[in-house]
Amino acid sequence: MSVKYGILTLLSVKQCHGYELKIELDSLLGLKGKINPGQIYTTLDRLIRDGFVTSPGMDGEDRRLYDIHIKGKEELNKWLIEPVAYSNTKEDFFFKWSCARKTNSELEKLMLTQQKELIVKEVMELTKLKTELILEGDERRYLLVTGTLLHLEADLTWINQVENRVG
Amino acid sequence: MIRVHNVTKEYMQGQEKIQVLKGVNLQINEGEFVAVMGPSGSGKSTLLQLIGGLDLPTSGDIQINQQSLQEMNEKKRTIFRRRHLGFVFQNYQLLPTLTVEENIAFPIHADGKIRKRNQRSITNLISEVGLKGFEKKRANLLSGGQQQRVAIARALVNHPSVLLADEPTGNLDRTIAEDILRLLLTFNRKHNQTIVMVTHDIFAAGFADRIILFRDGVIEKIISRKDEDYAKYMAHFMA
Repeated sequence: MSVKYGILTLLSVKQCHGYELKIELDSLLGLKGKINPGQIYTTLDRLIRDGFVTSPGMDGEDRRLYDIHIKGKEELNKWLIEPVAYSNTKEDFFFKWSCARKTNSELEKLMLTQQKELIVKEVMELTKLKTELILEGDERRYLLVTGTLLHLEADLTWINQVENRVG
Repeated sequence: MIRVHNVTKEYMQGQEKIQVLKGVNLQINEGEFVAVMGPSGSGKSTLLQLIGGLDLPTSGDIQINQQSLQEMNEKKRTIFRRRHLGFVFQNYQLLPTLTVEENIAFPIHADGKIRKRNQRSITNLISEVGLKGFEKKRANLLSGGQQQRVAIARALVNHPSVLLADEPTGNLDRTIAEDILRLLLTFNRKHNQTIVMVTHDIFAAGFADRIILFRDGVIEKIISRKDEDYAKYMAHFMA
């Protein structure tokens, strides 16, 4: 994920100080974990240098505030509407499967079984999280988890298909 | 509370005796959302039918709220079923020419005249299942997802102790299935509705608090989402 566009998104909503950006970015990242504070300040420096972000001064508690510049808004909008190509994150798995299939059918079966086990485990953990998000009313994170689950379902269907063909 | 004690179920297939359930023991507490999973022919749907009083065990005992289903005669069991149990099936089983409202009211009609409080309950349920505005629409003109919503409302109209659902999302695509599962989860949490759902789908089973894993007529394991190895065991079972 790009910290640059995360910051531009948050600043397009309102002026923020650095720590506020960190908290909001963690929330925006959702499932992917937390962000390193150092990364925020180095990115902010670069955004100011490139004219995407300005600093209108300090807030009441002497913290530096940041704001988006019109050039930053244009950059953000351009990025937002650009479609994202399907990134084949399972590339390693497909490569490994191709190798296993070429070398040894027993190993192929075993690797598919183990991959399936891993997927089911992730499905169960994510579904558990999903039900909690439904009850908390956190629609944004719920939809993100739903998206991941649909990908996992596709992977599982593919493995079942391969297994049935392997016989 | 549901208590299943040493339950067996046998059928005759020609000359051969088939034992579908081989001594099942189980307790489901009030307000629990439980999923029953297992391969085809493992006995999961048979168990649901027995809990629902639609069939009787060959041996053993099933109690719902401390009342034994076997000890009731057929008539008493039918009345008990209507008043204390709600059923949702994979193929909805609505009366196609009746309207949404009429389908939902059907179990009340079977029990006598609709009173004012029943009408309020029907109106509330229609709203809760998201079918406001569809009250007068005939069931056969609804989509699969909408029909299942009607079936859920019909199952809940008598405020049953237990809602029994047999593959409630089996005929629906993933997005619509998700809406139905969300609805079941909401009724479970909001109204403390006890739910027992048979499913072959791990994406549906994950909504439940506990999952009963069936194999060859016996419970292989019961896993709870509170267990540390919950996901790991499920993965092992499925593989």
